[in-house]
Amino acid sequence: MYGGDEVSAIVIDLGSHTCKAGYAGEDAPKAVFPSVVGSIDQVEANNDVKSEKESEPASDSKNGVKPLDSDKSKAKRKLYVGSQALGYRRDHMEVMSPIKDGVVVDWDVVDNIWDHAFRERLLIDPKEHPMLLAEPSCNTPQQRERAAELMFENYKVPALFLAKNAVLTSFASGRATSLVVDSGGGSTTVTAVHDGYVLQKAAAKSPIGGEFLTECMMKSLESKGIVLKPRYSFKRREMRPGEFQTIDLDFPNTTESYKLYSQRVIAGDIKECVCRVPDTAFDETAYANVPMTSYELPDGQTIEIGADRFKIPDVLFNPSLAQTIPGMESYADSAIPVRGLPQMVIESINKCDVDIRRELFSSILLAGGTASMQQLKERLEKELMEEAPQAARVKVLASGNAIERRFSVWIGGSILASLGSFQQMWFSKAEYEEHGVSYIQRKCP
Amino acid sequence: MEAVVVDAGSKLLKAGFAAPDQDPALIIPTKMKRVLEDGEPADGSAVEEVMVDPVVRGFIRDWDAMEDLLHHVLYTNLGWEVGEEGQILFTDPLSTPKSVREQLVQLMFETFNVSGFYASEQAVLSLYAVGRISGCTVDIGHGKIDIAPVCEGAVQHIASKRFEIGGIDLTNLLAQKLHKSNPSVNFDISEVEKLKEQYACCAEDQTAFEEIQNSCPKEQHTLPDGQVITIERERYIIGEALFQPSILGLEEYGIVEQLVRIISSVSSENHRQLLENIVLCGGTTSMIGFEERFQKEANLCPSSVRPSLVKPPEYMPENLSKNSAWMGGAILAKVVFPQNQHITKADYDETGPSIVHKKCF
Repeated sequence: MYGGDEVSAIVIDLGSHTCKAGYAGEDAPKAVFPSVVGSIDQVEANNDVKSEKESEPASDSKNGVKPLDSDKSKAKRKLYVGSQALGYRRDHMEVMSPIKDGVVVDWDVVDNIWDHAFRERLLIDPKEHPMLLAEPSCNTPQQRERAAELMFENYKVPALFLAKNAVLTSFASGRATSLVVDSGGGSTTVTAVHDGYVLQKAAAKSPIGGEFLTECMMKSLESKGIVLKPRYSFKRREMRPGEFQTIDLDFPNTTESYKLYSQRVIAGDIKECVCRVPDTAFDETAYANVPMTSYELPDGQTIEIGADRFKIPDVLFNPSLAQTIPGMESYADSAIPVRGLPQMVIESINKCDVDIRRELFSSILLAGGTASMQQLKERLEKELMEEAPQAARVKVLASGNAIERRFSVWIGGSILASLGSFQQMWFSKAEYEEHGVSYIQRKCP
Repeated sequence: MEAVVVDAGSKLLKAGFAAPDQDPALIIPTKMKRVLEDGEPADGSAVEEVMVDPVVRGFIRDWDAMEDLLHHVLYTNLGWEVGEEGQILFTDPLSTPKSVREQLVQLMFETFNVSGFYASEQAVLSLYAVGRISGCTVDIGHGKIDIAPVCEGAVQHIASKRFEIGGIDLTNLLAQKLHKSNPSVNFDISEVEKLKEQYACCAEDQTAFEEIQNSCPKEQHTLPDGQVITIERERYIIGEALFQPSILGLEEYGIVEQLVRIISSVSSENHRQLLENIVLCGGTTSMIGFEERFQKEANLCPSSVRPSLVKPPEYMPENLSKNSAWMGGAILAKVVFPQNQHITKADYDETGPSIVHKKCF
């Protein structure tokens, strides 16, 4: 039992794209930064370690269970966390993500990310604050135990709680039962929450998320011949008063992953500014003559985007559309037949008990960065009304404020951790020392 | 009686009664000397004077020293009387940890027994001083640099950045460079501080800086203790360090680049408002040539993200950029205290220090 009334808890939501951290009780996280890190191998000539890192994305997810290799590389690499550190171009800096398919594979990087959040962004001492961690709804017991271990052993937190993302979103909207459609950076998950508990068998997951859409945007722009120049690769100089020239700077030691990362940041911004979900399914001919929107790239180039504005968001509803984008054909081969968003919702609801289906249909919540795309709510509602059984009343709820949608998991955590009745549910350090880490499965359902 | 506004910086403490279009009545250094209480040192050696800095990099670290300092400021200088304390407004730098704020409130109510308290963020106050509620402040102080976008009076914490470099690092850099070019002279840090204020300037742009590296006019300066030193290109290096932090050994981009990136990370509907209302404040921004250089670098940015500086209103005194947080505080004090939006003693007694998070934002 941990009863903390004066001290405020810290809520951390480590997503595949951004990490959100802040004090409980506030209405937005104070620290929001990318959850990728830059890493430089200290010993440059060590080709073994470098090639091992480069082959990591291709191989299966390693759960950090290879202690020998990770220890070797731990001693030799320097990590840079946070948008400030990542924004600065360094030689040989690789960009890597600790999370693959929603599962944490590199705990050392996660450790660094948490450390950055506590010591550099929030400026707190983790020993004095209970921690509420948001975890994916399909988290494995080993992952939870690993997280708990890391928190208690390294950071010596006084108390901990692990809450599922879907449950937190549900709390953020004030409902105990709802169907949560969480469309974030790395993936889209549809989860049913009933009375505050996740119905595991009704969860549906799809690898199409914000990053996939950004990738589509990048490939589409490339096929049109537009080159996205990363911010570091050019410099503007004033040739004559009022006349500017862009000079390309060449940094031969910049890694490919960093260049891609910088380009993705720009493509992601384009996507967020111009993309809108079309009102009906995307049709090449219908949108061929749509008026173009212009966007100014960091290097001064202005580009026009027309049909892509609507095509790319429609990939969420019709994933096979991605194959029509030149350069993305390879995605057809990735085994799982991917369903669109409305199909996932129907599938998920049909796996639940008949009694609660009605309630789920009338409280579908949208959460996540990608869900804050314009017109997504209206389109989803329309598609669901067509596919749902006649008697059901379909209602999709989404907060009007884009910030609230993006951070709804964090906000839910903030609400939960500041409730008076929650204070007895913390998994305290004393309990950890007495019962061991597996006790967390009992305490945090 | 008017409310007192206190802006405790890493180098200077600005304090005075809230009079918005005047300079703060009291501007004193925060550095203090600790003198031993007992008269006789143990072994008869000279009393060692320890310099104490209560405010480090913008945050209050040494609470006892701060208490003494505030005691001196409030009772001796500003003329408060024990038992008749008035209301006080403090300014907070960006990213102040919750515990620091709570401790300050506690200090004020329990030790000083003030009747009313309010705390506000320096970024918002600097904007109030120039008559705006939205914009982006670039606060280059002695201990830190804060870049904070503010929309309608609310700091966008997600986008704002704090850098742990400031005037003090520039002073150290100058000391280093001077030592290299004048190896026989011994420098005292406070002397270097004065030299920096007198001589430091910014080159017109990067090409001009490179030319200066090659040839630069020499100047002679006589230190108080009689030694004569020459200063030439060091003066420009100090200004350049803000635009090219690699000079300080940091892996960062220059001020303007950082500003543009920060504004780009805020949602696009606010971009226009932020870009057109950039406020430079803090002691270091009063360097000769800084504003011109800033404007020049800003013009290099593409027109959709071109920052432009705000013109301070005519009724404000000359040194606005040095004291803008204090002045904004004075403006705010005139609004907050009469309208009873501040924390009163009764509120504090009822809820405790955590009330500062609820009432002051």
